[in-house]
Amino acid sequence: MALPNKVLPGFSATLYMQPTASPTALTTANLSVYASVSAIAVSGNAVPVEAIPAFGQDDAVASFGVAGSRQSDKIPTQSAPTSMTITAAWNPSDTNLLLIRGDAYNGTIDRTFVISATDGTNTVYYAFNGRVSEFKIDSAPSAEAKCMFTIHPRGNQYGWSNNT
Amino acid sequence: MATQQNVNQYAKAIQAQLTSIVTPVPVYANFNRNFATEPKFITWHLRNVHQPVYAGQYQSNKGIDRPIFQISVFSTTMEDNFQISNTILQSLHGYSGLFGGATYGFQISKADVVWLYNGYDNEINLYTIHMDCTIDIPT
Repeated sequence: MALPNKVLPGFSATLYMQPTASPTALTTANLSVYASVSAIAVSGNAVPVEAIPAFGQDDAVASFGVAGSRQSDKIPTQSAPTSMTITAAWNPSDTNLLLIRGDAYNGTIDRTFVISATDGTNTVYYAFNGRVSEFKIDSAPSAEAKCMFTIHPRGNQYGWSNNT
Repeated sequence: MATQQNVNQYAKAIQAQLTSIVTPVPVYANFNRNFATEPKFITWHLRNVHQPVYAGQYQSNKGIDRPIFQISVFSTTMEDNFQISNTILQSLHGYSGLFGGATYGFQISKADVVWLYNGYDNEINLYTIHMDCTIDIPT
């Protein structure tokens, strides 16, 4: 598969997570290797999220201002992968949501997550290692109960891939 | 992940639930010229069946269904009309539990009834009251 060469709808993105309660996260190098990442992007590992939030990098800058100097300076620094706050329709028995809940309870489990975006033929993957926090349920009436959590990626541990 | 619910099951459950509430008043899924023979009766119409679909390539990534069925009460007297409608309101509004009886029923989290309007149809000489009932169905 090559890179998708179309403007993609938001619906085309899917979130996957490594299975099992004690996963071994991919190495930083493998996060950019198609074969390693695509092994995670299978139906059993799909997380039933409502929408994929913005993914990629945060802005990162160090600002300096010196008294008496006419201009301050903004120095770009290495950008961390962005944290993702995710909402999923809550099924208390969903295997992957239970793993997410376990990760949040533990707090120190590193797991590889994969976002795939496809035009139906070709796929691009964004993979990162992260930890889950802030797992909570919102059961406001007039809709399904929502399961919300935040994935905080580890610094530098992300990559893009596709099969050329 | 959530499967798409079966609307045929909805229809059977609505028919059974309304019948159990207002018996012996007949309940019909369509109007069907019942006014010619029945002094009072109820019809219902199902609409807004929709489970929101969420991101990704899996068809089963959906939310819950909250369909609405409209209940139309017809009778030859205004008194009957309001009495039957009140019976439905008392029974359905806020109801939580098995919806549709033992044979066709399924669990609903809540039924929410909105009284739309009442009126009189001069063509058929019947009083009418229309209500909307939204049901929240775990999926």
